[in-house]
Amino acid sequence: MSIFTPFAALLMLALHSTAILACGHCVEDKIAAVYDHANVMQALERKHPIAFFAIDGPLADGTGRTLETLAESVTGVDKGSTRVSMESAAMAVAFNPERTTFAKVQKALERKFSGKKLTLQPLRIMDKPAQLKPASQRQD
Amino acid sequence: MRTISSSRSCMLIAAALLLASCDRQTPQADPYDQSKMDLHLVPAKLTDERHQGAFAEGNALSMGAELKPLDPAPVKTIRLDTTHKIIDIAPGVKFSAWTFGDQVPAPTIRARVGDKIKFSMSNRSDEPVPGVQLTAAPMMHSMDFHAAMVSPQDKYRSIAPGQTIEFEFTLNYPGIFMYHCGTPMILEHIASGMYGALVVEPRDGYPTKVNREYVIIQSEFYAKPDPSGRKVDTAPLYVLDGDRLRVSQPTHIVFNGTHNGMVKHPLPAKPGERVRLYVLNVGPSKTSSFHVVGTIFDRVWIEGNPDNQFRGMQTVLLGSSNSAVVEFVIPEEGSYIMVDHHFANASQGAIGLISTTAAAQEKDIEHHNIPASATPTDPDAAQGKLDFESKCLACHTVGGGDKVGPDLAGVTKRRSDDWLARWLKEPEKMLEIDADAKAMLKQFNNLPMPNQNLTDKEISRYIQYFHWIDTQPAGTAKIAETH
Repeated sequence: MSIFTPFAALLMLALHSTAILACGHCVEDKIAAVYDHANVMQALERKHPIAFFAIDGPLADGTGRTLETLAESVTGVDKGSTRVSMESAAMAVAFNPERTTFAKVQKALERKFSGKKLTLQPLRIMDKPAQLKPASQRQD
Repeated sequence: MRTISSSRSCMLIAAALLLASCDRQTPQADPYDQSKMDLHLVPAKLTDERHQGAFAEGNALSMGAELKPLDPAPVKTIRLDTTHKIIDIAPGVKFSAWTFGDQVPAPTIRARVGDKIKFSMSNRSDEPVPGVQLTAAPMMHSMDFHAAMVSPQDKYRSIAPGQTIEFEFTLNYPGIFMYHCGTPMILEHIASGMYGALVVEPRDGYPTKVNREYVIIQSEFYAKPDPSGRKVDTAPLYVLDGDRLRVSQPTHIVFNGTHNGMVKHPLPAKPGERVRLYVLNVGPSKTSSFHVVGTIFDRVWIEGNPDNQFRGMQTVLLGSSNSAVVEFVIPEEGSYIMVDHHFANASQGAIGLISTTAAAQEKDIEHHNIPASATPTDPDAAQGKLDFESKCLACHTVGGGDKVGPDLAGVTKRRSDDWLARWLKEPEKMLEIDADAKAMLKQFNNLPMPNQNLTDKEISRYIQYFHWIDTQPAGTAKIAETH
């Protein structure tokens, strides 16, 4: 029997993904790729948090614009705030906390991205300047 | 049958044992015994409180080429903040740089094996720096110390503008170690100026005594005029040329951050003095063949570690992030020229002087390296000037008389742009069909100009530069070989 059973493959994939995203250096690298300071400051001035995600799955060339459009079709996501890095497989979006919550944004994005066979892993959220908090600590 | 008496055999055995114990080498302690290294590390600390005031602080820092004496304190507290600022990398080239400590290269840190480094860094790339308001957009940065043995995921993480990271580590190996920003795209962050040197002396110091100590950091710049046409004090702004960067074609290769650095301001030394240079090639992509004209390196310690010693070298080959200590004696009065002996690199600015006299002696400058002169403000003409100075000075002058080829002062008055373009594109064809070209060949000893395989864009830049020369007041744009 081949060692490359589907279960083994899934396990390796999960471990690999975890390893990539568990290392802080790699998390910040993904954030750096989509960190647009002007975009961040504009959002924070309006008290809109910015959420950073890692994108898993097949990222075809030229789909960055499509992903931006998809992200900004989510209720509460600020138009023009999405930043996508194909090279680093990362995305940042700002959202209005008076219209939506982080959990709803995440769920809606995952639903829209699943149509492209992409999944999202939340990395950090910034709702104050110079403070990048783990997304897992977000309560809303 | 003769036999050896038992007492004599005992003596022989005892003598053999005694000799064997003398022969046995006393095991020496391994200076790199990892079980004795301090690898007890505490996690990095991240805060949202940024430093205020100076962008670099610490008694162990040297800001220029001259290395300050070692601070004896066993714990070195170092602060280097990241900034974005405009720097002059060559005459007329105001480059949008990213820095540690608000300078390029960053300050040199000096320490000793066994010292602890307590490091902190605020990302202040969103702060305006004195003098110039036009800088690159703030972004995330990080620190990667080659001298440290730490987890990159913890210590070298990228921080956002306004954040501060603090961590510490102990120095376990002697050497000259690079430090640089490790945020992707690392190539861009290094090419934008984020690098420096950490000199770690051996625990017991170096085995030789010297009279002078200097740090020489070789690096590349990839600069192009800002596509948006922005200006800095009426001069064009230069930004990172990503296309050139990715194919390793720099526009400038420099020592200590400046084209032809240490030519106008040579490093002093006196005859008979022993000079030690701490040489680091930070790349990001090229190799250096470091040589000092008129000297032989009495000692070379590769990577700055006396355990890696060579004697009597003419040149030391350094890959990107490699380093070496080189020591040599100044034999007599004169100016001793530091070069990258990959002479294409030297032609792009990797030249410096160690001089026994106070001012730079122009006669010591090689023909392909010229004193700073007036520079066009038009970016294409400025590039044409740089190209001319790196490729054409062997055969031509501007206002200095004919050489192998004609003096090019006034060339746009003698020849049309069309003629010049055709000549630069295919000189061999022009020599077959054009009467003026044939006459020129006769005038210059039947030595044809070789085809330089220039693109149309390069030719256009040359012609724009020639036009700029011919609009300058007489003598302003004079460029000639100086010996």
